[in-house]
Amino acid sequence: MRTKTRGRSGAVDVPRLPGTLALHRLDNGLTVGLLANRQAPVVTSALCYHAGTRDEEARHGGAAHFLEHMMFKGSAAYGPGEIDRRTQALGGANNAFTSHDATVYYFNFAADRWSEALAIEADRMAHLSLDPAETGSERQVILEEIAMYDSDPWDALEMATMARLFPDHAYGRPVLGTKESLLATGDADLRRFHSHFYRPDNATLIVAGDLGDDALDRVTDALGKLEAGAAPHPVLAPATFPAALERLDRDKGEVPRLLLALPAPAASDPEHAIARLLADLLAGGRASQLHRRLVDEMELCAWISADVSDNLDRGHFAITAELIPGVEPERAEAALFAELAARVATAPSEAELARARQIAIADWVFGHEKVHQQAVSAALSVALFTPDHHERQLAAMVEATPGDLLAAAERWLHPERGAVLGWSYAR
Amino acid sequence: MTVSERDNVKPGAVGDPAGALRTRPGLTVRARRVEGAPVVAVRIWIPSGARAETAPGHAMLTGRMLAEGTRSRDFRRIAEEAENLGMSLSSFGGFEVYGVTADALSRDWERALEWAAELTLESTFPADRAAFVARQIEADLESMGDQPDIRTAWGFLDQLYAPHPRARPVQGTVESLRAAEPADALAHHRRGLASGVLVGIAGAIDEDEVRKRAEELFASLPESATPGAEPPAPSGTGERHREVETSAEDQAHLYMGHLTVSRGHADYEALELVAVVLGSGAGLTGRIPARIREREGLAYTAYAQTIAGSGFDPGRLVAYVGTSPDTVAQAERGVAEEIARLVDGGVTQDELEEARAYLLGRDPFQRETARQWAELLTEASLYGLAVDDPAWRLERLRAVDRPAAEAAARRHLRPADLLVTVGLPE
Repeated sequence: MRTKTRGRSGAVDVPRLPGTLALHRLDNGLTVGLLANRQAPVVTSALCYHAGTRDEEARHGGAAHFLEHMMFKGSAAYGPGEIDRRTQALGGANNAFTSHDATVYYFNFAADRWSEALAIEADRMAHLSLDPAETGSERQVILEEIAMYDSDPWDALEMATMARLFPDHAYGRPVLGTKESLLATGDADLRRFHSHFYRPDNATLIVAGDLGDDALDRVTDALGKLEAGAAPHPVLAPATFPAALERLDRDKGEVPRLLLALPAPAASDPEHAIARLLADLLAGGRASQLHRRLVDEMELCAWISADVSDNLDRGHFAITAELIPGVEPERAEAALFAELAARVATAPSEAELARARQIAIADWVFGHEKVHQQAVSAALSVALFTPDHHERQLAAMVEATPGDLLAAAERWLHPERGAVLGWSYAR
Repeated sequence: MTVSERDNVKPGAVGDPAGALRTRPGLTVRARRVEGAPVVAVRIWIPSGARAETAPGHAMLTGRMLAEGTRSRDFRRIAEEAENLGMSLSSFGGFEVYGVTADALSRDWERALEWAAELTLESTFPADRAAFVARQIEADLESMGDQPDIRTAWGFLDQLYAPHPRARPVQGTVESLRAAEPADALAHHRRGLASGVLVGIAGAIDEDEVRKRAEELFASLPESATPGAEPPAPSGTGERHREVETSAEDQAHLYMGHLTVSRGHADYEALELVAVVLGSGAGLTGRIPARIREREGLAYTAYAQTIAGSGFDPGRLVAYVGTSPDTVAQAERGVAEEIARLVDGGVTQDELEEARAYLLGRDPFQRETARQWAELLTEASLYGLAVDDPAWRLERLRAVDRPAAEAAARRHLRPADLLVTVGLPE
């Protein structure tokens, strides 16, 4: 479904999720969203707990992610491994992910058997086992996961850079925690986190796809009797950023990798949509400003990208690139900074803005084709922002003017005012 | 080393699956209407990928060069005009095919098809762009080599497939890329076009209208199809155990396996089911992840597949474990024992039925979007198999009973012949 919004360059379609998102709140506080569409005979359920790394105590860093693993390791009705076995026997798929702001669990099932997901979610929300032997075994698994991330050049560079950009905020801590913090986190700590935050009044369930007419009844039957009682979230001090450009150098990798991280608005900030459009203007597509200049004209980088995070408190721009073999990193860095200075000094043309807008809209459409993508996206929007979060962002992009983009560039693209420049390559 | 039976599908031996409009030799067009799809997806596949190249990396260079300039537009204009519409228009090189991909909003289906055809038929391979694209590919190669699991996988593929092209990265080598000339790409493309062009289009489209337009756009193709030369057979390096140095901080990467069967082999579906039992299914259900990760806590990632990379050439049994350098031997022993246990002891009826339910249940999720449909249509044309038809797949999977699955495992999985590559920190 699409609506027309009139931007400066004429009528532009603003895409929306297929179907209508019907929101309900159960008596125990669980927010339920039903997104019925029949594009395929499938259903995804996405349960988003409004709890992530930001809700941990620093000394138990990684607890939110650790608990996510343990949610598959046994509850009253589903023993260790049983959730995966049941999912497979029903021909489905499941997984979960933890971010700094939230934790999401999802199941993909054929349309005639999706309510098994509700039974699983209800059981592990109310009756998680947290067996000490399973906890010990899973801690070892996560230590291997940390080793995997530490060995990946981009993951390692990103973690080091975020720690410097957010020195006093949970966003600077790795979601997985560290070896030390995991060893300091036991069953009791995980149980406390679960008891505080894995409650219906701290959760949003989105069910999307070919649901049938009785979906709300099924959800209410399975999850409506669970006990409310979520604890308040810890109050975090506002993020403070470096006051100048800080450098970080890792001596790893044949290919020089660059990550420039700059402060950006929170995803709930009205300016976030403009920041996202600015990222597309910079490096969204081959005709974008940074790609055209640093890749195709100067032939310094093999590729370059720009993105802005969707964080609840404060966001960040991440400009990343890999260099062409033999190119001096100093030369690429100087060219990047010169381009950013040019963006701060000159508004984009109407044609550049129109192209960035089309790319942003198309990316959103490409990223919401699958029922699974629709469910997870809606779950995060409802839980963290507003149900129409994406539509409002897209509409703001359509309305944006070259002056808006220039003002955003002036506000956010000054590395010398505070940013972290990370490099990784063998010297 | 014993290589399993060769495939019963050959490049160029494309069948005539239902729904195809085979206008003439050398061109197969398949289109599918996907109700309500907001995206139209166009795939142009030329079945002359790295397996048919005369020097490493030429297929990749050829594929990537298709978007670098045509008779009427340079690369800047191609990019700008596509992105003005929010269209993703790109070209690629792969192991079996190279070609062009266009994903556009539905309203722009004809433009997407026209531009994909333009890139396929009118590319000029400008020399300055060829030099830069070769350096970009070299950067990709080095970047991948920085990733410990990929570097280890390269060693494993060489151990299994040498001297076949699957033994090397599809990007080629630094030396071959530096030696490549625009004329090499042009020559590869001429041979590629002569081997035939496969077109797949899906979206909220009128199938007949789209097929007719595709036929018009590709009317200039040669009136014949000449399959490319076959690569040398994979025989492997003869090493049983190989170690690779990586830049990992504190993790080892373990690959174990051997060659199995090609895509068209009669045992393909039986091995697909066996793979789910071993470790390619939902979550951590397979025997190998259940033991290595769930019971012994040795790894975050552990999986197994029996037909990895299966196509015109044999695929492979591969078990992967990312673990501590201290526990590699334990992981290696566990994987070998689980493969032997499956071959010697077979599968239970419950395991087989769960594996079948998983594969059949997953099927609708692979047919959700126009992009998925376009890939399936083109894959069907490539192999001459009705992989885009859910009924065909249902029938093939349902036909595998327990004795057939166990017999396939005994025929194609050989615990005594497992080859091992371990990537260790420098």
